[in-house]
Amino acid sequence: MGNTTDRRKFLKTTSAAAIAALGAGVPMSSLLLNSCNSNKISSTADTVILLWMGGGMAHTETFDPKRYTPFTKGMQSNEVLSTFKSVPTALDGIYFSEGLESIGKVLDKGTAIRSYVAADLGHILHSRHQYHWHTCYKPPLSVLAPHIGSWISKELGPKNPVIPAFVDIGQRFTVGEGEELKAFHTAGFLGNEFGPFLIPDPSSGLESVRPPVGMNSSRFEKRNQLYNDLISQGAAGEFGSDYQKESLKRSMEQAYMLLNSPEAAAFDLSKEPKASYDIYNTGKFGLGCLMAKRLTEQGARFISVTTEYEPFKQWDTHENGHTTLAEMKKVIDAPIAQLIKDLDESGRLDRTLIILASEFSRDMMVEGRPDLKVTEQVDQPEVIDDIKNYGMHRHFTDGCSMLMFGGGIKRGNVFGKTADERPCKTIENPIVIDQVHQTIYHALGIPPDKHYLVEERPFYSTPDGLGKPVMELFA
Amino acid sequence: MKRTSLRNVFKGNKLFLVSIGLVLFCLTALLNVVLANSADSATLSFWLWKFLGRLHPLMVHFPVGLLIFAALLEFFTLKNFTSSLRPGINILVIAGVATAALSVAFGLLLAEDGDYGEDLLFLHQWIGIATFLLALLTWYQLKVAGKENNTAKVRSYRLLLFLTAAGVSVAGHYGASLTHGKDYLSSTLPWNESVDKHLAESSSVSALMASNTTTLTPKQEVELNVQVRAILAHNCYQCHGEEKIKGELRLDKKEFVFKGGENGPVIVPGNTKESELYRRITLPIGHKDAMPSKGKRLSAADVAVIEFWIQKGAPWPDGVDNQNLFKIAELAPRNPDLPAEVNGLANPIDRFVNQYFIANKITWPEVVDDKIFLRRVFLDIIGLLPTPAELKSFIEDARPNKRELWVRALLNRGDQYTAHWITFWNDALRNDYTGTGYITGGRFNITDWLYNSIKTNKPYDKFTQELVSPTEESKGFIEGIRWRGAVNASQTTEMQAAQNVAQVFLGLNLKCASCHNSFVSDWKLTDAYGFANIFSDSSLEINRCDKPTGKYTSPRMLWKELGSIDSSATRKVKMSQLAANIIKPENGRYYRTLVNRIWAQLMGRGLIEPVDIMDNDPWNQDILDWLAFNFQHNGKDIKELIFLITTSKAYQLPSVGFKAQNEVMMQQYVFKGVVRKRMTAEQFADAAGMVVGPIFPDSIMMYKPKFDMPSDPAIPIFARASFVANNSLLTALGRPNRENVSTSRESQANLLQALELTNGERFNSAMKRGAEKWKQQYKTSDAIINELYSRALGRAPQPKEFVAAMKLLGANPSVDSIQDLFWAMLLLPEFQIIY
Repeated sequence: MGNTTDRRKFLKTTSAAAIAALGAGVPMSSLLLNSCNSNKISSTADTVILLWMGGGMAHTETFDPKRYTPFTKGMQSNEVLSTFKSVPTALDGIYFSEGLESIGKVLDKGTAIRSYVAADLGHILHSRHQYHWHTCYKPPLSVLAPHIGSWISKELGPKNPVIPAFVDIGQRFTVGEGEELKAFHTAGFLGNEFGPFLIPDPSSGLESVRPPVGMNSSRFEKRNQLYNDLISQGAAGEFGSDYQKESLKRSMEQAYMLLNSPEAAAFDLSKEPKASYDIYNTGKFGLGCLMAKRLTEQGARFISVTTEYEPFKQWDTHENGHTTLAEMKKVIDAPIAQLIKDLDESGRLDRTLIILASEFSRDMMVEGRPDLKVTEQVDQPEVIDDIKNYGMHRHFTDGCSMLMFGGGIKRGNVFGKTADERPCKTIENPIVIDQVHQTIYHALGIPPDKHYLVEERPFYSTPDGLGKPVMELFA
Repeated sequence: MKRTSLRNVFKGNKLFLVSIGLVLFCLTALLNVVLANSADSATLSFWLWKFLGRLHPLMVHFPVGLLIFAALLEFFTLKNFTSSLRPGINILVIAGVATAALSVAFGLLLAEDGDYGEDLLFLHQWIGIATFLLALLTWYQLKVAGKENNTAKVRSYRLLLFLTAAGVSVAGHYGASLTHGKDYLSSTLPWNESVDKHLAESSSVSALMASNTTTLTPKQEVELNVQVRAILAHNCYQCHGEEKIKGELRLDKKEFVFKGGENGPVIVPGNTKESELYRRITLPIGHKDAMPSKGKRLSAADVAVIEFWIQKGAPWPDGVDNQNLFKIAELAPRNPDLPAEVNGLANPIDRFVNQYFIANKITWPEVVDDKIFLRRVFLDIIGLLPTPAELKSFIEDARPNKRELWVRALLNRGDQYTAHWITFWNDALRNDYTGTGYITGGRFNITDWLYNSIKTNKPYDKFTQELVSPTEESKGFIEGIRWRGAVNASQTTEMQAAQNVAQVFLGLNLKCASCHNSFVSDWKLTDAYGFANIFSDSSLEINRCDKPTGKYTSPRMLWKELGSIDSSATRKVKMSQLAANIIKPENGRYYRTLVNRIWAQLMGRGLIEPVDIMDNDPWNQDILDWLAFNFQHNGKDIKELIFLITTSKAYQLPSVGFKAQNEVMMQQYVFKGVVRKRMTAEQFADAAGMVVGPIFPDSIMMYKPKFDMPSDPAIPIFARASFVANNSLLTALGRPNRENVSTSRESQANLLQALELTNGERFNSAMKRGAEKWKQQYKTSDAIINELYSRALGRAPQPKEFVAAMKLLGANPSVDSIQDLFWAMLLLPEFQIIY
């Protein structure tokens, strides 16, 4: 019995690998010398969805609420730990912040991590910490570090050859710090092939995977036919066969396949039943979650959906923290809970790892680490008279919340703990970004010492190959 | 009185007697050892000694446990010497002393029997013996203190006991280090792993193993040997190194490796079957002889390297144990004799290539026809396609030296030449219009300086000088990119400058050595800091793997032959000294690096690859040296260098295609003609722009050079891709984000790129705009098809192609169908490849 299962699984993985190889074409990275000495790890996930709360999501206002102090004029700033009430979750004795009831109700399907400690990178800068979160390396570097999605794309390839392996939904690069964001939305030395397929706005996501605007399918078909005719009837033989020509032809065929495939409909949100669409539709982020669900159903590998980072917008609250967060929760609560429910009901959650994270947390008083003095910080009056000062406006790195669902992660679990009084920093089971990445890689069966030789040096998926997965998170 | 007390001592202290006996026993053992050292070692092989010796690791746990526990109980009863625990503590001490005596005795026997390195053993042995003596003293003091119950005595007893406890811990630690290896404990600490992880892997060794080479060159032997030693170091030294010599085998130096262990040699060169070492590393886990006996098994790849090494005769070149494991190319310039002109081969490159072809049994192929030559040379020199008129006029040109004349004319098209070559330099100098750093004023653009420098064909030494010892306009390269916040020590702007100057101008990778002593070259951390200090007013503290070491070094050149740097001078002065030193005539490497880069741009593959590792061997040393020497002595004139290369017969040979990209980069590469290249992002956009109309509107140009008005109205003026900010189309086609120095482009197509071309907004709307114009300009489908083939491919359509295109356009072509024809044409490999 065990044997049969193993063999079936083996066949499944090999054929998936074969398809993946086909989809990826002959990788440019065949030039990269890679190696790892570890034994093979059996995976618990095939797909990863990263729900990115760009801008710094305060843990005490979301998934790790502390004592609530309602707004009153003349209140003392340092008394305020949470500006929202706590609400119960599916787990006894575990509370989330008001406005996150729906996600709380599905916590029995996943783990709340309350002990992520962000790195101390000197200045607390969003794009720099985001770079660190997504690549596991601190910028600048002497080589271009790949995004975690690119590592995964490189190691596993697309799950379904017509769905790009790394899809990035919701981030525009025309915002402030756009160049800094571009610096890590890249496959780096792994090669463009493994870079992100960008869908800045999910409601127009279909445009990325259908014939150009204004071109119907019969015209698209004819155009492609012409291309093939010209290639086959032209002077192809004259210049012999070589890898550039082969890869050009192959990549064009793949693009055609993708744009013409039924799976591309996953990008078409108008195909979603209205009832479902309405639940997800809290705006760009909610629709991004819906697209992530649809892509997962069609065999996506790595999808990032972001609330979008834009300086001083969304989670990046330098004032009006309370009011803004009330809005942000409306944006994320329903679609995230629905995404988890939908994937769970279809049985896909078991092999899909969903991670919710942010580059760091926020606090009303502490900037950076409790023991550090940081010069550039938001002014926070000692006494609050205006509601715009009521909220978490400074950057805090010592205790942050994350969520993980599916993909082999324990259900109904809380990992780590922060102090109940300021500074509300991590006091149990701290985990750092290297461990987060290795946990994700472990779930996907990618060994921890994966590395490539770049300019004669080994470059590991996490610095020096030292990161270790947090095994306690797995069921 | 005296007698009584003595008797009392004996009477009440049977244990004391026992211990005196043990001391005597111990002394006997010691004597035995001393004797054995001077006399016949046969005495030692007496089985009982061996047996007792091996009991040492068992025995030692008694004194360790007993004495530490005694000290612990003592600590908890500090307030009350006569607590109820007193008798128990006394027994613990006594038993501790007794077992310590036995441990010492057995240990001395084991030391003779076991195979241990000298230093650690020495420490362990003498700390052990000293601890035993301390324990004895402790016990004595305990007796005294117990009798007199005097505070001072009690105190000294306690002090002694705690010292003893510390002693057994230390001795125990060293003992464990002997048994389990020095880093047995510490290796598990997260902060103690770092650099060991950087295995000295060598790409060339894998390539070597894949090839069927029968004999290795001396360089290959060194590379293979380095790899083997890295494997031995990581897997075997713990037990077979300086510290510990199990089975009398050491694997850390050539003489020991080949001498073998207690059972004779472990390596039989050329014969893996007879090689004990190979047998043991390939035994199944659990086999009693399997190695390593503790810890991780060797990976299959490592075993394969060892196997290959032994098969190849286990090369271990003399001297590699110490220094200069890695080849460093000759620094000095060299002017090889120019071979005589034969068969009308006048160009110096061809004279050398002729010799090379003879040596490699290659016959000269015919040079390419005018059409191919013109397309190639246009794309290579000005990054544009020839217009149909230019092609016609070239073909009709009857002058015998027309190729030279046209090359000269292309080099004289200053603005177009610059618009093309600025891309190469932007990549290398990581100059871009947008990117990280600009947001906080931490980065500087040098485009205007660069444009004018290329356009005026600034001599390369002057060009270099102005970058290395910059003005306000050219400082961007040295200033690097400054990120706010704490930056890794190997990425300070000073270190960036050191790395980038070394890479760009010297073809040298200093990145490894800017963090720790390099594992892939002989460059040391201090070399990198010495070089980086040139770019700093104050001396930088040396950081090893981002940890400060408290050490400093003075500013200096990487090669002392190139001169010195005044350590007391300001940064500005030091940089000007550096610039003057780099461009010195003695610095052949600097000129070779540039010549090799230009060769690679034109020929599709460098004389040396990768172009940033100038210590690799060129496929022809004479060509490289001759070109570098003559470049240096003829005005450091890049245009002349390009002229020389593009007018050589070698450049004009039919292009060579490869099945896989790594075949091009192989060290065993054989030159047969230019390597077929893919158009760069900029070449593609510009060429497409020439055929159908501009891809980028003037409005998005980030730099607008002051063009000289071309005398020829046929020469198109439009926004060249090199002057617009990076965008999704250019990124997809391989334009790097210039955060780091980049000296080669990816030439392989991929899905994301194809998607961008297939439905990307920018490309498709440019096609549409072009189609609308063509619809106005050309009345018939015939005209459109013929004009398009002529412009894009420089030829007439073949009948079948014509039919296919006609099928789409029909008699009355629509804008849509013209747009679709454009698209299909521009995506043809025949358009995108430079052949």
